[in-house]
Amino acid sequence: MKSIHKLILTISVGVGTLVTSCQKLNIPPTNIFTPNIIYDSEAGVKSFLATIYRNLPIEDFKYRPDGGEDVDVNGIHYSHPGFNPGNPWMNFYTSASVTGEEVGPFGGMDIGAGFGFWPYGDIRNVNTLIAELPKHAAALTQAKVDALLGEAHFLRAYYYFGMAKRYGGVPIITVPQDPAAPISQLQVHRDKEEATWDFIGAELDLGYKMMPETNDAGRANRYAAAALKSRAMLYAACVAKYGSVNFVDGPAHSQGLAGIPAAKANTYFQAAYDAAKLLEGHYSLYTANSDKVQNFADVFLKSGSPENIFIKQYSIANNTAHSWDATMSPRYMTANALSRAYPTLDLVQLWGDLPVTNSDGTPRRFNDRSELMQGVEPRLLATVYFPGATLRGLTFDMQRGIYPSFSGTAAAEVAKQPNSRLYILSGDTKTLYQGKQVIGFTGPWTGGDELTRTGFYVRKYVDYNKPQASVDLYRSEQPWIDLRYGEILLNRAEAAMELGNAGDALTSVNLIRSRAGATPYGSIDLDKVRKERRMELAFENQYYWDLKRWRIADVVLDRAHFKGLMPYYVFNENKYIFLAEPELYNREYTFQKQFYYEPIPSGEIGKNPNLLPNNPNY
Amino acid sequence: MKNLIGRILVGIAILASSACTKTDNYDGPNASLQGNILSSEGGNLLTSGGSTTIKLQQIGWTTPQTIPSKFDGTYEDSKLFKGGYKIVPTGGAFWPVLDTVTVNIGQGTKHDFTVTPYIVIKNFTHTLTGTTLTLTFDIDAPIIAGLPTIKDVQPYVNTTKLVGTGASIRDFSDLNAKTINKAFIDMSAAEKSITLTVSNLIPGRTFFVRVGVRLSDSFNSSNFSEIVQVDIPKS
Repeated sequence: MKSIHKLILTISVGVGTLVTSCQKLNIPPTNIFTPNIIYDSEAGVKSFLATIYRNLPIEDFKYRPDGGEDVDVNGIHYSHPGFNPGNPWMNFYTSASVTGEEVGPFGGMDIGAGFGFWPYGDIRNVNTLIAELPKHAAALTQAKVDALLGEAHFLRAYYYFGMAKRYGGVPIITVPQDPAAPISQLQVHRDKEEATWDFIGAELDLGYKMMPETNDAGRANRYAAAALKSRAMLYAACVAKYGSVNFVDGPAHSQGLAGIPAAKANTYFQAAYDAAKLLEGHYSLYTANSDKVQNFADVFLKSGSPENIFIKQYSIANNTAHSWDATMSPRYMTANALSRAYPTLDLVQLWGDLPVTNSDGTPRRFNDRSELMQGVEPRLLATVYFPGATLRGLTFDMQRGIYPSFSGTAAAEVAKQPNSRLYILSGDTKTLYQGKQVIGFTGPWTGGDELTRTGFYVRKYVDYNKPQASVDLYRSEQPWIDLRYGEILLNRAEAAMELGNAGDALTSVNLIRSRAGATPYGSIDLDKVRKERRMELAFENQYYWDLKRWRIADVVLDRAHFKGLMPYYVFNENKYIFLAEPELYNREYTFQKQFYYEPIPSGEIGKNPNLLPNNPNY
Repeated sequence: MKNLIGRILVGIAILASSACTKTDNYDGPNASLQGNILSSEGGNLLTSGGSTTIKLQQIGWTTPQTIPSKFDGTYEDSKLFKGGYKIVPTGGAFWPVLDTVTVNIGQGTKHDFTVTPYIVIKNFTHTLTGTTLTLTFDIDAPIIAGLPTIKDVQPYVNTTKLVGTGASIRDFSDLNAKTINKAFIDMSAAEKSITLTVSNLIPGRTFFVRVGVRLSDSFNSSNFSEIVQVDIPKS
């Protein structure tokens, strides 16, 4: 009897369990975002795009070409991220300060081997977006889907361009990889360099075709795709033309992973030219102010400029503001922090020699330092702060020291050993010589590098309207102009020149020169085009890549030392003189030939040996 | 209470004894590799800092490591892991060695390489007049066809026996360089006979001096002369 009871009990429990367990667990998880939540609304897609844009390899104010400090974002650790680094206030770690545009905190050519940039995580995000969007045409409309797809192709090209100019050929991955796939499928081989650039070109063509004419500020429109294409194809063309002459041999070169056949050069030059031409009539140089100096300074500060094609924005409220103003000018003119990167005399002399020496070799005497700026091209004055210039009501009073009296030639004086020069120097700005301050509040001095080492300061992008009290770290919001029409005209001029179309190159360069306040050229050659580019785009993180793609970095930066222009006060004459001397740290910069390509990161080779052979000499 | 403490101690003892039973049986880096980099023109290839290195790649690993050569053209690394390595000399002013050698490195392994230098410096002389040092030498090339362009020639002056690129006094060395930028085949006999001068050397000091010829190969590398000692008399 008892056993029957037990049996009944057991059966009922069993049946009960079976009946209740057959409820299907069919509710969507409430704690994760499903694809529909992201892709069915424009707001959802925008939030996804924000991450992709944030990580885009834009070489802006905060970019650290040496990789910078590690950082954690949303619990993910990034070591030497380069873009969006930790403690991103040190905006003086510029690539300009290893190329001789500036001298700065780097001890030499510290950025040649890169920092292991390998953005396949971000590329996966774009690939996911491209795979998902077409499934949501009903919710988003087909037109919206096409526009967003075009934007995604632009973004993917941007990431691949960031890699191609560093590594040459890289694995082209266009669909999100399945982590469960066999490892042989996940360990993808490198594609050829040529294929990588062709892919970038094709992606940007899709971007141009599918994107609208306009977009939100900070997002790409179709012309951003064309502009980037002109930049990328010019790079590829130069790799083909100059990289096939000056190269380091090795398996990666002979297999086409690092290097492009010379025969492809003209195809790429033509693609660069055609892409640049697409912007004609849609963008123009900024010329709102008739004062040419003020106008060129405002190119980098005024919103709504018809020159801006693609910008990156910053916000104090969102904790993304940069520190350009606080780290490019001396503490004397700011509320906090310090500067460490200074324009060289070598850069300034691109515009021609300054009239600091008389015909007999003696230094010219100036009543006031600011007289040096007379007759200087407006664009240069808007790019570099000269001795005697003013900012926020204060004067750049650069003075290296005092000569009680001065005789002889400038060359003879500079050639002397320092201890036999009869000048008075000082380790601080407080020291007086017969009641006269020995060194300026703005330097130069050798006690540290927070005052100029060259006699100049950077002016480009410095917001002169900001009151001194608010010039602090993480308080600068002026956007980085990543693509501007000025560059596109120079891309076009260079491509035209390489294709033998000098007339077109002359027209483009003279547009630039007129706006700059320079005398237009009557004739043109490739050297003039390249020099115009250096002058127009100084400090915009272009010249490092220009040196690389022209394959002249190992010649220009061969045990190179750079110069400054040191102002001195001659006491008995009550005059100023300027002497061209080595910058005060007299550092040496040598670009090794292997740096034309960076090494594939060793950690990635460890995960995927198919990335071998590494680039030559690594 | 005593009982509890006893039990805890027993527990700790058990944990301690069971925790570290496995010993590291992997050999330390106790293998070594050394040898000479011989010049095909006789003797060792004279090198400098930042010049010739021996590149090693352990088989089964992806990241290569390097052994820098010493100035006399020898090299040694006594802290390597035992195993098979692919090795090749690179980075110096010699015709590229394309065949990597596979060597099984154990304790006291020796391996010599023979390389063909780009340029050989011959008849190197030095004459001191007052504080001015005059250096003369001739340059020759074992193989002329395809030789990289010669960039420049220069003296290297230092106060120690370690003298060469990256180890020299700039004012006496780099600033006395002579630019050539010419292919060897286009140089006349007179141009191949070179004189360099170093002036204003400091009286009462000893300097170590050599000369170098720099080429525009993949490394902008230099061939070097031997190192001579120069004593500047007190004035």
